[in-house]
Amino acid sequence: MSMSDNAPVSVVVVDDHPAILSGVEAWYAASRRPITVVAAGDSVGEAWTAPGSTADVVVLDLQLGEGGPAFGSLRRLVDAGRQVVVYSMRDDEKTALNCLDLGAATFLTKSEGRDHLVEATLAAADERPYMPPALAGALGTNTRADRPQLSLREENVLIEWFQSESKELVAQRLGISVRTVNSYLDRVRIKYANLGRPARTKASLVARAIQDGLVDVNDL
Amino acid sequence: MGHGGSSERLLNLALERFGVWLRSIVVCLCGALGIVSADAAEIPLAASLLVPAFLACGVRLYSLRRPRLFPSALLWTLDAAVLVLTGLSQPVLGGEGADVMVEAMVGISVVAFQYEWATRPVAGAALAALGAVVSVLGDVFSSPGQSPDLVPLVRMLIQVGLSRAAYLIVRALARAADRSAAVRAAARREMEVAAARRATEREYLATLHDTASATLLMVSQGDGRDWTWLPPRARQDLEAMSAVPGFETGSVDLAALLGCVPEGEGQARVRLKTYIEGPLAIPSGPGLAIFNGVREAVTNVARHAGVREAELRAWTEGDGAVVELSDAGRGFDPESVPARRRGISGSIIGRMHAVGGSASVTSQPGTGTCVQWRWHGRAPASQAGDGAQATGVPRPPRAQVQHTADVRFIRGRLLYGTQLAVLLISLVWQFTISLRRLVVHQDLYRPAWAQTAAFVCLAAVAVIGGAYLLRGRRIPPRVRGWSLGSVLAVSAVCAFTLPPEQSTAAPDWAFGVVGWHALFLLADLRVRVYAAFLGAHVGLNASSVFLSGAPTAAEWATMGISTIASCGFQLSVGVLMTNLLHGTAPAAGTAAAREEELRTRERIHEDMQRDHKERYRALTATTVPLLVGLGHGVLSPHDEEVRLRCGVEAARMRRLFAESDAVLDPLLNELRACVEVAEHQGVTVSLAVRGRPGEVPVEVRRELVDPVAVILGRTRSTARVTVVWTPLAVRVSVVSEDCADGRGTEGTGGMEGTEEAAQAHGRATDAKVTVERTTRGGSVWVEAGWRRPATSGVDLT
Repeated sequence: MSMSDNAPVSVVVVDDHPAILSGVEAWYAASRRPITVVAAGDSVGEAWTAPGSTADVVVLDLQLGEGGPAFGSLRRLVDAGRQVVVYSMRDDEKTALNCLDLGAATFLTKSEGRDHLVEATLAAADERPYMPPALAGALGTNTRADRPQLSLREENVLIEWFQSESKELVAQRLGISVRTVNSYLDRVRIKYANLGRPARTKASLVARAIQDGLVDVNDL
Repeated sequence: MGHGGSSERLLNLALERFGVWLRSIVVCLCGALGIVSADAAEIPLAASLLVPAFLACGVRLYSLRRPRLFPSALLWTLDAAVLVLTGLSQPVLGGEGADVMVEAMVGISVVAFQYEWATRPVAGAALAALGAVVSVLGDVFSSPGQSPDLVPLVRMLIQVGLSRAAYLIVRALARAADRSAAVRAAARREMEVAAARRATEREYLATLHDTASATLLMVSQGDGRDWTWLPPRARQDLEAMSAVPGFETGSVDLAALLGCVPEGEGQARVRLKTYIEGPLAIPSGPGLAIFNGVREAVTNVARHAGVREAELRAWTEGDGAVVELSDAGRGFDPESVPARRRGISGSIIGRMHAVGGSASVTSQPGTGTCVQWRWHGRAPASQAGDGAQATGVPRPPRAQVQHTADVRFIRGRLLYGTQLAVLLISLVWQFTISLRRLVVHQDLYRPAWAQTAAFVCLAAVAVIGGAYLLRGRRIPPRVRGWSLGSVLAVSAVCAFTLPPEQSTAAPDWAFGVVGWHALFLLADLRVRVYAAFLGAHVGLNASSVFLSGAPTAAEWATMGISTIASCGFQLSVGVLMTNLLHGTAPAAGTAAAREEELRTRERIHEDMQRDHKERYRALTATTVPLLVGLGHGVLSPHDEEVRLRCGVEAARMRRLFAESDAVLDPLLNELRACVEVAEHQGVTVSLAVRGRPGEVPVEVRRELVDPVAVILGRTRSTARVTVVWTPLAVRVSVVSEDCADGRGTEGTGGMEGTEEAAQAHGRATDAKVTVERTTRGGSVWVEAGWRRPATSGVDLT
């Protein structure tokens, strides 16, 4: 994994819809930092066989073919130490929370793709946290017993980010900077990672966050 | 209840009539018989005593028809005079016949007075006491020197006491019937009021949909078209909004109404080919509902069918009317129309249901559309039932069914009361008057044990029947049959083991009492059956007398008078009971129903007026000024700001319509209603929900959704609407480009105006909805939040 901000990133895209595939490739092509789709197809096998097996990031459509959500595939990829961006038609908090529990780097709904897929892919490649609005909404309203303890401000930022889809608007409303908004979001993501299923990606996410000074060890 | 319910009131009336008629008939008949049978020398004196008594009876009978004509003191005096005059006639007429006759007249009169004066027990008791005095004095004057016989006196007082007790029992049950009828009526009234309110609400919303809402939507969508139609239409809409629906009365000619259905103008014109068999006179409620529905359906043809002509037919069917609008347009699948679209469900079908008619839409993609309205005269004015009503199936008029149930209930209570009263009479009579006679005259019976056994048998009948009655059960037919047979056997045994010359005299203890036992057993059957029993009873006694040789005329007369005094009186009580059960009970049911209907109508009227004021107030702050401005040309539809405001109001109205939908998540449903209006205008709206939905009161929902209606109504590009449910709060947010914000002061003014209006919208509630607004560049973000009550925040999943 490169620390360089401009190192090229390789991606394998697993999606059964050709239109989505071509859309994703177009967004990546427009990225300032080079992102290469090394393999694409409608089967998870693409991520396990060369050249997909060595890609930095796996973009995984949760709904492949006729079966239910591909949680099993996600789990195996995470266990193999892969960085997985879940990219789903399903816009419900349960699915989002499940994916996070299983160790996905992030969860994106397809309606968020245009605005967030490139950034989410780059963040995953760098093992940085990324929080798109749909996921923020899911975390902000999470009432499960095993959820991490969030501060009122963190919860508010999550919900307002979900509502407005604009960090500038959130910053203005709360009277803070966009940077601070980001750090709240990142902190929540780290708290979730810290509590989640043990996985290499999670460990590295937390380690990276501590190294960057995003969270204090004592906070966790 | 001071004046009592309808059952008690009518019971008192019926008993008063019974008492007066019974006494008058007995006094007049016996008196006339006395005058005729008296010695010629005594006739003038007897007539001078009895004729005034007849006249007094006549006056009392007349007073039944004109209840308020005579003061009750005068009536009481007349009644007392009748007693005194008949008592005085006893020594004048003279002889044993006169004694029996006067005893019967006075005895029946004092019993009758207990019913005549049922509501004034003191007056009745005073007359009874006077009767006792009169009969004692009569005996003293007619046979001077002899000490008066106390036994008939005691018997008379027992009868008076029983009459009063019987009245009190029946009255208690009538009162109970009235009370429980009142309770049930109150519950029913609540239901009917609620149904009427719902129906009116539907009608009002349907009217809004077709008038103000449609107008505002058109203005908000409009651009450079011809707006000359707008001011008069806006003024009409205002009138429609302020009219209280549901109070249309009289009838209209549906044919004439349908002739006025607007065909639309310009591009939206639909040429109507009408085939109407007029005139079609129907009540104005259903008439207007059909007219409004047809108007809406014609605009639907213009909007959706893709054709420019339609056929409108109307004809009579039975005592109702059928109207049909059909087009050959592109049609649609009625199943696929979402519930929130009110054109069909509200304006056409719901409106017809509200007035007791029905409407149906038949269509398939590619085969045109046919809308049919049906109304039949039978249908009641208001009904609670929803859902499709199969036409042609006669529905039992609900009021009629209810009325029958009420009558059955009152009748059941009165029957129970009269049975109890007669049972009491049977038992008391048997164990006082009859028992004494049986004991005193033991030596006369041949054999005596037969009479004693008969007495025990009769007592057993009363006890068995009484046991069923007191447990609130009906006497089973078999038991009733055996009991009646036993009573008749008692009558026969007593008739044939008694010396014939003693028949109906003092030793005949059974003759006067078996009739009461039979009456108690036969109370619920027709009076004919009871009369037949009495006939058999009298026949048995007469035949026993006849078998032992023909009696003399004097004996016949004495027996005849005794028979009339006991069996005749019992038969009259039987007639009275039939009258109570089949005359008073239905009348009481009808009276109760009428009172209830009046009260219900009053309540509905009050509630509707209040509801209407509430609804109207909700719109006065925002919609009304806009329509007034458009109606009088103050606001121009060419002005973008005006069009934006119209969009906001249209969205608000859609939200109002959605309020009455029965859905699991009403907040989301109302938001969707607003979103649909915006999407109709070409705005791309993304709607996202997070968290578990909970309960939010309607007034809070209004305030939560209103900012969304305002923002969506003012946007022309994209918007994001979210609902976030946390255990502590619900937050509704909308982010969009605000069209008016870039327009400087004018736009800002407009925005403030709508926010003030939004405040007024949610006025008079302490819902504590906080609204936060953030603008940045062209974006505006408004969030409305409400803290949920603590208890609903527990999440157990």
